[in-house]
Amino acid sequence: MLAILPQLLYTGLGIGAIYAICSLGFVLLIRAANVVNFAQGQFSMLGAYIMLVLLVGLGVPYWAAFLLAVVLMAAFGILFAGAVYWPLRHRSQLTVIISTIGASILLPNAVLAIYGPSPATVPGLFASSGFQLGPVFVDSQYLSIIVVAVLMVALQYVVFEKTLLGKKLQATSQDKEMAAMLGISVVGMVLITFAYSAALGALAGVLVAPVLFVSVGMGATLALKAFAANIIGGYGSIPGAIIGGIVIGLAETLGAAYISTPYKDAFGFVILLAVLLVRPRGIFGELIAEKA
Amino acid sequence: MDGATAPPSAALARIPAARWWRGLPGALIGLAVACALAAIAPDQGYYLNIIMQAVTYAIGVAGLVVVLGYCGQISLTQAGFLGIGAYVLALMTTRLGVPFLVAVPAAMLVCGAFGLLLGFASLRLGGHYLAMVTISFQVILTLVLTNWIGLTGGPDGVSGIPRPAGLAGARAYLGLCLVLLVLVMFYAWRLKLSRLGRAMQAVRDNEIAAGTCGIHVFRTKVVAFGISALLGGLGGALFAGAFSYVSPDQFTFDESVVMLTMALLGGVQSPFGALLGTFALVILPEWLRFLKQAYLAVYGGAVILLMIFMPEGAWGWAVHRFWRASRPIGDWPVPPLPLLSMQGAGPGAPALEVENLAMHFGGVKALDGVSFAVRRGSVHALIGPNGSGKTTFLNVVSGLYRATSGTVRLGGVTLDRLAPHERTRRGMTRTYQNIRVFRGLTVLENVMIGAERRGNDVQEPAAVIARALAALDFVGLGREASLPVGSLPYGHQRYVEIARALAGSPDILLLDEPAAGLNSTEKQELGLLLRRLKGHGLTILVIEHDMKLIEAVADHITVLNFGKCIADGSPREVLSQPDVIAAYLGEPQPA
Amino acid sequence: MTGITRRAAMLGTTAALAAPAIIARAADTIRIGVTSPETGAAAESGQYMRDGINLAVAAVNAKGGVLGRQIETIVADDQTTNPGAVLAFSKLASDPSMVAFIGSIRSTQVQAMAPSVLKTAKPMMIGGTDPKLTHQGNRWLFRCRPNDTYSAKTIASYGVHTLGHKKIALIASTDAFGTGGRDALTAELKALGITPVLTIGYANQQADFTPVVLRIRSSGADLITSYFTYETDLGVFARQLRQLGVRTQWLGSPSIVDTAALELAGPALYGTYGVADYAVDASPESKAYAADFQKHFGKVPDNQSSWAFDAINILAIAIGNAKSTDPEAVRTAILSVQGYKGAEGEYDFDQNGDGLHGYSVVQNQAGKINFIKYVEFPKPS
Repeated sequence: MLAILPQLLYTGLGIGAIYAICSLGFVLLIRAANVVNFAQGQFSMLGAYIMLVLLVGLGVPYWAAFLLAVVLMAAFGILFAGAVYWPLRHRSQLTVIISTIGASILLPNAVLAIYGPSPATVPGLFASSGFQLGPVFVDSQYLSIIVVAVLMVALQYVVFEKTLLGKKLQATSQDKEMAAMLGISVVGMVLITFAYSAALGALAGVLVAPVLFVSVGMGATLALKAFAANIIGGYGSIPGAIIGGIVIGLAETLGAAYISTPYKDAFGFVILLAVLLVRPRGIFGELIAEKA
Repeated sequence: MDGATAPPSAALARIPAARWWRGLPGALIGLAVACALAAIAPDQGYYLNIIMQAVTYAIGVAGLVVVLGYCGQISLTQAGFLGIGAYVLALMTTRLGVPFLVAVPAAMLVCGAFGLLLGFASLRLGGHYLAMVTISFQVILTLVLTNWIGLTGGPDGVSGIPRPAGLAGARAYLGLCLVLLVLVMFYAWRLKLSRLGRAMQAVRDNEIAAGTCGIHVFRTKVVAFGISALLGGLGGALFAGAFSYVSPDQFTFDESVVMLTMALLGGVQSPFGALLGTFALVILPEWLRFLKQAYLAVYGGAVILLMIFMPEGAWGWAVHRFWRASRPIGDWPVPPLPLLSMQGAGPGAPALEVENLAMHFGGVKALDGVSFAVRRGSVHALIGPNGSGKTTFLNVVSGLYRATSGTVRLGGVTLDRLAPHERTRRGMTRTYQNIRVFRGLTVLENVMIGAERRGNDVQEPAAVIARALAALDFVGLGREASLPVGSLPYGHQRYVEIARALAGSPDILLLDEPAAGLNSTEKQELGLLLRRLKGHGLTILVIEHDMKLIEAVADHITVLNFGKCIADGSPREVLSQPDVIAAYLGEPQPA
Repeated sequence: MTGITRRAAMLGTTAALAAPAIIARAADTIRIGVTSPETGAAAESGQYMRDGINLAVAAVNAKGGVLGRQIETIVADDQTTNPGAVLAFSKLASDPSMVAFIGSIRSTQVQAMAPSVLKTAKPMMIGGTDPKLTHQGNRWLFRCRPNDTYSAKTIASYGVHTLGHKKIALIASTDAFGTGGRDALTAELKALGITPVLTIGYANQQADFTPVVLRIRSSGADLITSYFTYETDLGVFARQLRQLGVRTQWLGSPSIVDTAALELAGPALYGTYGVADYAVDASPESKAYAADFQKHFGKVPDNQSSWAFDAINILAIAIGNAKSTDPEAVRTAILSVQGYKGAEGEYDFDQNGDGLHGYSVVQNQAGKINFIKYVEFPKPS
């Protein structure tokens, strides 16, 4: 059984990278708009379906479909911000959370009404399915997922820490009023964050679609796991989101192979519960307390 | 000390909150209606199923009303509790032959245990953390129900669940369920008006203030979870008996979301709202079946729209629109508010002492070795420029922060390891700079929370109300008692807060910038109030910026700067010291 | 906004209460209730089932119906869930004019409805293959597909004797159907002196089978046998199997040759074997059915529709023979159906209510299902 461990680590890392990308989009919304977006996973689902329509339905070339799906979802992110977040921006966090829960029911069921429940397939990024590297079959799609995840993290770091836009986004997330007084367009920053989060979600969706298939249900578990990843890694922490995603991916894959296959989805949550009870701030995070 | 005489019962009887039999007539009518409905209900088939589902669900949704509506804790696992209740009943009756009416309380207890467990998770977490814990619990539960086939029968579920002997007929069983529903509604409604209910609502509206009003916040949350679980268990057990069949996919996260929607649609703060929402959302999908795939999409959209346009739900909206404030309480002789500080050591002995109090936040030394004493019966002012550590000081003294080092003593008793509610119990009450009233409650209820703090000399309801009214009367808000506190102007809300603190007959009253946000007339009134309090011999520690106010009432002033105590003495002494002047003006004045 | 909500709620309630009155009553039709997934994971397969039913009903009615009356089917959506099935059946059963019912192809849903069917005491034709369904004392369930005792025997004998494998991996869903199949197959293999090298369960409607595939890969099995409930799960599993480089031979339960699975998995299923209750070339009747179905719906049929097609025809025959719609009479007549050649095979009902006792072995050759042979077993006395 130990023989399959390298393969499991690779697959676990791959799926963990997907959770990490989703979680990244999640973290940004928390930091910029203080929104816990239960519909984050639906961005992935929609992105995958848009790509399906473009690629299979309209015959658009692969790379164009890929990029277009991400771009269109960025636009959708702005729409989402306007419909679900903006009218509630002054209300309690609970209200916003519930509103995003509503969106997380609306979106997949709307797609369900249009497309029906059967999953669909999209081809992977590469024609060849992968190559053998020692004991590990390096699946090319998982490889692309891992590479993209690394790139996104690097990109995000550069943008946030080294560019003016990134600084403005950080400022907005830390203190909206002050940022506004300094001439930063808070509305603009929030919209950019929603657009970027949606794009990240879509990216995760189009990357994982060849592996997990395009189905209306693919978003729901992604969202929950992205959220859990976030908490495990450290609420609101960007490196935490990545690490948390990988932890869940590995826990699931190894748990399913060595402990129990039917309980696969539980492992991530068990770890989450353990983290919440023992060290609620997560691996990298700070416990956020209300100011007295 | 005489202060606990209740006003004449005739007058009290006009106050809805004081009537012990409140709601009982409604409940009896409800029971009669329940039996009548059961008698005329269809005997079998589809419509009976719908009604059964709605009734049993409504009991479960009432649990959500308690934990989310009253206590403000997000629980996304109510369907999970229904499931636990249903399965425990199903397994006990089918596998162990336990009689139905014994299995129901057993199911409730098992659920209650899980609820307490989840409540414990809320100890250090709130908001979305708690949401995640409840979601994780729900997801894991569904997986266990589906995969622990030996115990639960797996995806095929458990069938052949019997009903209680003698109540097996459809109408009889429906009658049982309806009767229990009425009782649950009555209980939930009364809970809201009870002391526990007020505590839950306080925790929901302002957790920090709830703690300093003497409420054991953690225990309140745990109890709320426990109650929601008990109700979920009851609903689930009855559900199992109704359908004779349970399976894992009836109790998934999706169902928890549906139950949440039911609560929100009707109005999560009222059990009747929840009932309305439940019936609407059980009947509606059946009617919407023609929409086939799209009806859940309609649900989701409805949730969003509800949150935007009708966040209090249908019932809440209706109540808002059509409910008129009840008649003012009226005049009757109010016994004086007992404001004399504790007996025993005479005036002059310190009520509050701090020694070398330090509070470091990382590298920032907010308090750097502060020592002084507040004499009993005096008005002691704490002043200093912004950022000098005044509010931090108050927060440490009232227990919201744990001091890095140093000691706080109240009447000789060391407070250092005590939580805020324990300090309140020993006679410390406070107000806040940015007013912390409980916005979901009336003025009277806000002050009642102060009056019913543990350690106070009034505990039974009528006396609590009397005390609260006395406190309101003292600050001049007697006529506003039954208004929602949010409808009062800012200055009056501050007085409500003060009344709340006074109603607790404190040994020391801590005021955090009471004049903040008041205009000059209001400040004058505040000054008069403080003088009256002083006249009654109440010990007060007040943080203030307004020098005129300080000079008018303070017996003693301590000045903080950069977390250190730079002056301590009578107003005349302190206010002429060069250090003090320099701290405020930024440069030394020529002597 | 609020006005709409209130009005809609009132309208809804009124409509819900008035609904039974609106249901058309044609007193001279024979009404048959059908629980079928119109929504949920199996909605697509549900459409095939309804297509098969409609084909049969049209043909029967064209020949004058039964007892001079036309057949009318009423469909209720079971939502592909157990509680949905229970509710759908209760809705149909509350109509006293229903003569008989056609239930689900999913054993777990039949299991859920079974107590209610027993109480209603009218015949229900089912497609689920869990052997327990006809062996737990419910006299109103009649199976129009061969149960998994026979699929297990077929898989075991073909896999071991014909394909010559001894190291068997068994993957099965954890629901009634999967568990029944797994237990039956394990027993049959034991009778041949073989213990599976890996037995692995999974919960229905998984998104990801990677850990399962990896365990199969490392088990050293030379034959994969399977009981998959949903074609969607099977399709995902098949693709992931090939993606991770597993080329082992595979002999699966009938879902492996279902249209939905073939569409989803494509080349991943080429070369696999299946035991099928319906195969186009198994008999002249199955060929005729395929041609008929193709003509009307433009697709090759699979077992999602064939059993339901047969069910209608058997009901028509039984009611005709009984010369009445009385449930007991119809029941006796169904059990007396012997030698009826339907699309699924030759029906000889035994006392348990099973009509068929054999399976075809087929192979997927580049997307086309090739019939290899039919294996028949003796009917229990």
